[in-house]
Amino acid sequence: MTCVAGPQTFLPPYLLERIAGSASPRLRESARRTLYEDTHFRARAAVSTLPPGSTVRGRPARYVHDAQQLRTLPGELVRAEGSADSGDPAVDEAYHGLGDTYRLFWEVFQRHSLDDRGMALVATVHYGENYENAFWDGRQMVFGDGDGELFNRFTIAVDVIAHELSHGVIAYEGALVYSHQSGALNESLADVFGSLAKQYRDRQRAAEADWLIGAGLFTDRVKGRALRSMAEPGNAYDDPLLGRDPQPGHMDDFVETQDDHGGVHINSGIPNRAYQLAAVALGGYAWESVGPIWYDTLIDSRLASDCEFVPFAELTLDNAVRRFGSSSRQAEAVREAWRGVGVLP
Amino acid sequence: MSGVSHPPRLTSASVLRLKREGGLAHFPGLARPRRLDCSRFSEAQRAELQRLLELTVESCRGDAEPEGADWRRLQLSVEDDSGREIWQLRAIEEAVPMALLEWWRRAESE
Repeated sequence: MTCVAGPQTFLPPYLLERIAGSASPRLRESARRTLYEDTHFRARAAVSTLPPGSTVRGRPARYVHDAQQLRTLPGELVRAEGSADSGDPAVDEAYHGLGDTYRLFWEVFQRHSLDDRGMALVATVHYGENYENAFWDGRQMVFGDGDGELFNRFTIAVDVIAHELSHGVIAYEGALVYSHQSGALNESLADVFGSLAKQYRDRQRAAEADWLIGAGLFTDRVKGRALRSMAEPGNAYDDPLLGRDPQPGHMDDFVETQDDHGGVHINSGIPNRAYQLAAVALGGYAWESVGPIWYDTLIDSRLASDCEFVPFAELTLDNAVRRFGSSSRQAEAVREAWRGVGVLP
Repeated sequence: MSGVSHPPRLTSASVLRLKREGGLAHFPGLARPRRLDCSRFSEAQRAELQRLLELTVESCRGDAEPEGADWRRLQLSVEDDSGREIWQLRAIEEAVPMALLEWWRRAESE
């Protein structure tokens, strides 16, 4: 109930100015960065013109930048397509994560980058100081280093990289409105293709996969396995600081809220679990069974931007029938999965 | 975020609430509102907070809702001495000065 901000623990700018002139190089640098950002934070600009894409189908065009702990984009280009490992884990994880995601979309769905026209894949790492997030800004991916207390660097999990990239694919195809149920479907699709990228890279069958999103992101101090669990929504973490994983796995537990754009990262647990149930029921590799059904649905012109769970479920079922036949085990698995989470009767 | 109004003048009776939401995942513990009770601050600190609110408003002016996904946002509100909310702003974190995020970090959740 009380505020602990005070001169002992909190450093307002007038104190930062003093520290910036202090003897400690570490404190000096930290204070300098904060002061610089507060003076220049509006100078932040996203990539205004994307670099050249790939004209060769099947080959990506990757660009990884280093923001050097500032909140400016895109930062300095540190690794481009074809260059060797840099030795910086964040740079190299981003580069390889972009490649893993590109490979999934190309080799499984014959999609040439986000727009299917070879669009450049641009990422910025080391964004901000102790920045605990990753996001898609409409043109590129952005990854923070984490604060080291709760979160590790956000490039550590390939499914998180693929999640952010998949938001780009979704924007080009479904353009699902980022709010309430359509926003939860947007988030769920990003998780679906994020998990697919990880499973495809590791050649994991549905029964072998951990179905976690963001495993490895938490430090050892956090009581949790990952950001989300597609198999067990609501059970990814339960931590004194982060709280308890709020995701439902069934429509009976659907969360009505205005937070989080109407619960886009909360209610996505329901379609996530439907997808996972179908994948496990079918067995084998998810990118050969249920993945193509979800991809067909994403690029289906009938997918409305304000689509809700029921019409989305019906569309996946229709695409399962189109691809595998009405009496196929794939169609049956999809139907049962949506029933299992209470979306279809 | 266009049409954002100027923040009210902070007095010793003002209460500023900061709520951080969004990002790659929703963490209930981190999304809980945090309270800054201006009566606990010196005049210099209140002036600093005032300046940071004004910088945030200036930064948001004319901005449309950004494209993309997983942005984190900071919701700011000010209450007067009767507890009535007299001002509110929701901004993407990229429009918020680092120093204001530091205030959020150091404030306790409600």
